[in-house]
Amino acid sequence: PPETHAAARARTRSGPAPVTDVAKLCVCDLLVAQCDVNCCCDPDCSAADFSLFTTCSVPIVTGDNRLCSQKAAIYSLDVEANPPERIFKLIDQVNPSVFCIHATNYKQALSFSSPEMPTSENFDQLLEQFGSATFSAEPDSWNMNTDAQNPSDANETYRYEYGVPVQTVDAFLRLPSPVVSSWCSDANPAGFLVNQATKCTRSVSVEKCGSIQAVSMLFYINSGILAVNITVQSVVVQSLNGMRTLLNGSDVLRLPMILDELCINIVLGVSYHITYTDAGEIIEAAASFVLGAINKEALSIQQSFEISFTQVNTKPVPLSGNPGYVVGLPIRAGFQPQGYPFPVEILFAAFNTNKYGQLTILQSTSNQDCLAAQGARTPILFGYNMISGCKLRITAAMKCQPLTQTLLDLLKGQSFPEYVASFGNSQAQDVLDWVPITHLHTSEQTMREIYNTFQSSCQIPVSLEIEVKWTKYGSLVNPQARIVNITATTTTTMLKQLPPGRERTIPITSSVVFTDVSSPAEPGYKAWPTINAKLPFDFFFPFV
Amino acid sequence: NSSYQLSSVPLQILFYVNGIYYIFYFLATLAMIVYKGEVFSYPDDFLAPDLALLFIMAILEVLRLYLGSKGNLTEEEAPLGLSLVITVGSVILSVYFLVWQTYVLKADVIINAVLLFTYGLESVLKVVAIAAFVS
Repeated sequence: PPETHAAARARTRSGPAPVTDVAKLCVCDLLVAQCDVNCCCDPDCSAADFSLFTTCSVPIVTGDNRLCSQKAAIYSLDVEANPPERIFKLIDQVNPSVFCIHATNYKQALSFSSPEMPTSENFDQLLEQFGSATFSAEPDSWNMNTDAQNPSDANETYRYEYGVPVQTVDAFLRLPSPVVSSWCSDANPAGFLVNQATKCTRSVSVEKCGSIQAVSMLFYINSGILAVNITVQSVVVQSLNGMRTLLNGSDVLRLPMILDELCINIVLGVSYHITYTDAGEIIEAAASFVLGAINKEALSIQQSFEISFTQVNTKPVPLSGNPGYVVGLPIRAGFQPQGYPFPVEILFAAFNTNKYGQLTILQSTSNQDCLAAQGARTPILFGYNMISGCKLRITAAMKCQPLTQTLLDLLKGQSFPEYVASFGNSQAQDVLDWVPITHLHTSEQTMREIYNTFQSSCQIPVSLEIEVKWTKYGSLVNPQARIVNITATTTTTMLKQLPPGRERTIPITSSVVFTDVSSPAEPGYKAWPTINAKLPFDFFFPFV
Repeated sequence: NSSYQLSSVPLQILFYVNGIYYIFYFLATLAMIVYKGEVFSYPDDFLAPDLALLFIMAILEVLRLYLGSKGNLTEEEAPLGLSLVITVGSVILSVYFLVWQTYVLKADVIINAVLLFTYGLESVLKVVAIAAFVS
């Protein structure tokens, strides 16, 4: 709801609290929820992991060593024991110098002060204080109460960046995936905005029906994503012979149980759908399940997992680049809806050619017969010139007009788009980001020839050539590909009436060509300084 | 046979030693405050009281030693009593430098402990001298 967002912004945000307990501090613990190699202080490592280490990369963790007496955590490996084990000792380290700090009455003396987080309220004051080339090391608010910072505020919305693991209450949202073999490993975290789909195998048995956690629905929706609960969107039940039925009431949690020597309600697939805002906060999470059943002979099942991210208030459209087109990704295309440009409030959600809004081209098949082609089409990928075609057998019985229509459908497809996105991430709402497709028609014969053979001048299209002109846009260091022009040229040829019984074969081709029309970058030089020296107007006064 | 002389010789010796030790104490504490200001973060709000109290302590010490020495030598109990009262103030200041300073180093602990011990010994001897003068 919008009021909590405003309240969250109004609170002064602060960084995480500093860790001061030497037993809990570990600088080599870089991987979250996984054991770091040779890191003896990592809490994620088990005794089995320690037996494989060779040295301890961090042998001692101490606080400020200017204090007279302080705690130190010493980590070492006992290589004599079999298997090697880690030794952890917490000792008091004494500083022998006579100038060691015995006590201090000044709380912020021994740690770095946490800087204030800029918010919209204090931004101006912070800019005034720190915005110039120098600033004093001791601001006025030196005695600021450190208790005012509350770092462990679980209700605050957590903003994510691309690829950061999605946090849950205890660890991370896990998407089981195969690691080395095809067996499921539960240690794959779901990254924010990283759409993944994995399939892996899990060993099950009817006897352990209720005790295997990873086949129960509860395991996947139990840990809410930090203040957002995972709701169950839909449940599909798959029977033993593979038939799937969608269940009506999807709010009942179905746990694995034994029924008639079968173990039912085991999870065969989970599909997570996460909705996020443009500020990077997760506001909704839904999971769709496929539940199945196993019988006594089954030793393993295959589970499939999927996660997809959708921005709130938008429909999901796969991008072909961000912002420039990426070579190999399909070109996005679409239509303008009826009534444009006048009814502007209609959201241009109808930008779709095929299911994914892509420009497509005829796909050559193995039998090369145009009329038996069955409409197979392949999307046009940016940067890849393509050519495809088929052979058309013309008999005397074929009529001109239906043949023309069939060939046009073959070359252009069922719904040839009108507009193509100029950037890979163009949104449907930004109409100026879309480039119209120009259509040209040429003929294989000259106009005079057509005029001369006046009777039965039937023009059938035989080739479609799409030329995409693109340019490099943006900075020299990281140029982005942008489509500036797209032309679809249809070439027609004259179909002469065949004598009965004869047949002809003509090739039909369609091709896509990408041309780089970027203008070379011109360096800009500053103008040479000129000496502006002019004599005053009346310099030669008495004489001029 | 010095029954006619009531001045306490140990007290006078202690005053002399105290004077020399205090000069060392003052210079050492001042040097350490400068050192702390360079090495640690020592903002002005905390530096000013420490320096002020050190100088006040120096003034009190001069006054105290002068009055005490004069009282002991002239065998009068009034200056000696006044010196005893000022000793209380000096003790409080020494405890400040021992416990409530911004940064208390181990060297601070040592020299303040020695100073407090000297004050204690002096106070005992002053009380004995006053008792001797009064009676």
